[in-house]
Amino acid sequence: MKISHQWLQDYFVDTLPTPAKLADLFAVHLCEVEEIEEKNRDTIFDLKILPDRAHYLLSHLGVAREVSVLTGIALKPEAGILPKHNIVSEDLTGIKIDIKDTKLCRRYIAQTLTGVKVQASPDWLKQRLESLGQKSINNIVDVGNYVMFAVGQPIHVFDADKVKGEIIVRLAKSEEKITLLTGQEVALRETDLVIADTEGPLAIAGVKGGRRAEVTASTTNLIIEAANFEPTTIRKTSTRLNLRNDSSKRFENEITPALAALGMEKIVKLILELEPQVVLGSKNEIYPMPVRPWEVSVVPDKVTSLVGVTCSAEDITAILTKMGCLVKKVDESLTIIPPLDRLDIVIPEDIADEVGRVLGYDKLPAKLPAELLVKLLPDKVFFYSEMVKNVLVGRGYSETLLYALVPKGFYQIIYPLASDKSALRDNLLGKLEEALVLNARRADILSLPTIKIFEVSKVFRADGERMMFALGVLPVRKQKGVTAEAILKEDISTIENTLGISLQAKVITGEFGAVCEVDFDELVAGLPIQKDLTDLDFKPLPSDKKYLKFSLYPYIVRDVAVFVPEEVNEEVVHELIKSKATPLCIKSELFDIFTKDFGDGKKKSLAFRLIFQSFERTLEDKEVNEIMEVVYQELKANADWQIR
Amino acid sequence: MSGHLHIITQAIRDISLIFEKIGFAVASGPELETEFYNFDALNIPADHPARDMQDTFWIKTEKGEERKVLRTHTSSVQIRYMESIKDNPQPFKIIIPGKVYRNEATDVTHEAQFHQIEGLYVNQTTSMAELKGTLEFFFKEFLGPEAKVRFRPSYFAFVEPGVEVDVWWKDKWLEVFGAGIVHPNVIKSAGLDPALWQGFAFGGGIDRLVLLRYGIDDIRHLYSGDLRLINQF
Repeated sequence: MKISHQWLQDYFVDTLPTPAKLADLFAVHLCEVEEIEEKNRDTIFDLKILPDRAHYLLSHLGVAREVSVLTGIALKPEAGILPKHNIVSEDLTGIKIDIKDTKLCRRYIAQTLTGVKVQASPDWLKQRLESLGQKSINNIVDVGNYVMFAVGQPIHVFDADKVKGEIIVRLAKSEEKITLLTGQEVALRETDLVIADTEGPLAIAGVKGGRRAEVTASTTNLIIEAANFEPTTIRKTSTRLNLRNDSSKRFENEITPALAALGMEKIVKLILELEPQVVLGSKNEIYPMPVRPWEVSVVPDKVTSLVGVTCSAEDITAILTKMGCLVKKVDESLTIIPPLDRLDIVIPEDIADEVGRVLGYDKLPAKLPAELLVKLLPDKVFFYSEMVKNVLVGRGYSETLLYALVPKGFYQIIYPLASDKSALRDNLLGKLEEALVLNARRADILSLPTIKIFEVSKVFRADGERMMFALGVLPVRKQKGVTAEAILKEDISTIENTLGISLQAKVITGEFGAVCEVDFDELVAGLPIQKDLTDLDFKPLPSDKKYLKFSLYPYIVRDVAVFVPEEVNEEVVHELIKSKATPLCIKSELFDIFTKDFGDGKKKSLAFRLIFQSFERTLEDKEVNEIMEVVYQELKANADWQIR
Repeated sequence: MSGHLHIITQAIRDISLIFEKIGFAVASGPELETEFYNFDALNIPADHPARDMQDTFWIKTEKGEERKVLRTHTSSVQIRYMESIKDNPQPFKIIIPGKVYRNEATDVTHEAQFHQIEGLYVNQTTSMAELKGTLEFFFKEFLGPEAKVRFRPSYFAFVEPGVEVDVWWKDKWLEVFGAGIVHPNVIKSAGLDPALWQGFAFGGGIDRLVLLRYGIDDIRHLYSGDLRLINQF
């Protein structure tokens, strides 16, 4: 909600604090200030009004009342008019109003005006709207918007001469259509609330006006509407039609029906000021269930216990009275009657919130809660899964957390993000096998002879949600006498020894190496009672590490082997290679070393593996070959070194 | 050669151990939830935008079956835990680390699955000052002694009062948790008497803390099983 500092000042005699100071007060005591903008010698705050406060804060008057509470500066008496504890329905001899469902339209006030001249707005009005980012249309449309931003009540204005017969507030009929002010034709549904006359819809209630009774340059007679509509209906319609706007937003967040009268009073007064020739016509109103004030009872001790600092009856009374509440002390408790637009004040906790935020949550002391007599143990599945993770990490496994959303599974998502993420996984193996293969392809970069990974996660099967545990092994280079299955089986037996229970693991082998999956819930059920987490040797997060970005482009591997005299240090050779390999060489390692007697002396063979990769593009063989040529030349420059 | 715990697991371990020091025990609950535990019992109104198709993964169910969702927050476990002790209620402190899901387009900072940590303390009385003390203790242990905690007024349907929790970290305020006093309707939905029991709760994302702490540039790397990331930690 955009709020003008100058406009706020209108509600006060005394000078307000500077915009910077007000912004600080808002941030600490009310809501986030998203932006502060200097505009036309004014300052505009963009306040992120919280949903529970949108009932009263989507207006300059609402924010001005908060400013008064937070600064202690009094509002002008005439500015601070709150919605009245209201009156009964009037039924004067004006235009007839027929509300078909008073749950959906709780109040409707229609006021006719005659002798209007539609023209450009005066500069002050244009400026006010423009400072909030609103375009000025004409004096009549502008005053409606002005009143909405001033007091929070959306207003709609019809050309009275274009309205046929009575005003009917009803749900749309099937296949009914309306042409909006924008010229867009909209197909209505039977769940959309409309303002109609005897010919058909004139406007989508609370959302958008229609073209048929639009105020134009030739309009002279008006029907002004100040009404109250049920939030959910408005939200559904405005969302479906993609017509969310300042009016629908206020109804969606719910405003009190009491506000309609204030809105009407303000707009009529303003039009009469701008257009003194206008004659006030008849007013009609349907308001079958006028809202009544409600009471909230609270004992100061309850507020104290919720906030955590002593809040006396006097403290609470002072804060709430400034907000416009009527507060009575009855024995030990306070009976509070909030202003009718404070739909957020209903239970004692709401009172604690008002008191807490005005005192300032930033000033709250920090206290630790009491120690409890009964000490709980950690969740058993959590405890044992962390224990198994410790074993596996010790055996060289790394932990994955793979996607739970897969193409096929027992449970399907109604509106999936993508077709390959349209179901919940019913096993861990599918994704784990893919991860084994993918990582094996990057084994050079990872410097791993064998990919070993595991995961402990939920799966979702026909028999319900289960915690599963899966692990897999994929050797990257063939190793004599060692199979993936043998490695896996050995690691499984290590876990079995630690837990003292058989995993009943069925090993599956394939292109992906060897994998197995175990029902962890079932396994844990057979284990003894868990202990505290201190038993598991948890480490704090590493403080010395920084993530090193990796390239998503393919890499190229080159090996180079060289014979050097025995006394030459391999580090010297490695450094020499690195110095010529350019920054495209992201990794290099000495992977083989042996000594050979050539008769005329022993020589050492050093084999290095170089990995080339770019962050910007896919490298070509040609450019890597060129780099390697430079490396070879550099090595050959040493007379007694030979490239193999 | 030693393997590597996923960095999210390392964070969950660190967080859980710190909270265990002040009496919070790790609890857990299902990821596939019913509408009741994920929304209704948490005082989130039936027509709340959070329930919309575009924010929540709704699961296909048979006609007449209760609607199911992938939980959108760990707060559902608050209800399940309170319910489990309602016949013999005792004060308790729990912490709930877990995976949650949101139906939103993914990019470097958004992922459809991520992790949250939730805390809940229930006793005859619990206060905002105790909430602040708890979070201050946690962040000083987790981030370092210079960490400071700030509360700002906010709104979440399942707490009242509700606040946004900022921590002072790396020379700026960072929004980390939502928190507040458990709404009496929530206590009641779980089968406890709100006249006798109060609670405070807090919760927030773990992934973002990890991404910021280590400068990881893409949240999606966390869930791709790529050892180029996992083995860095």
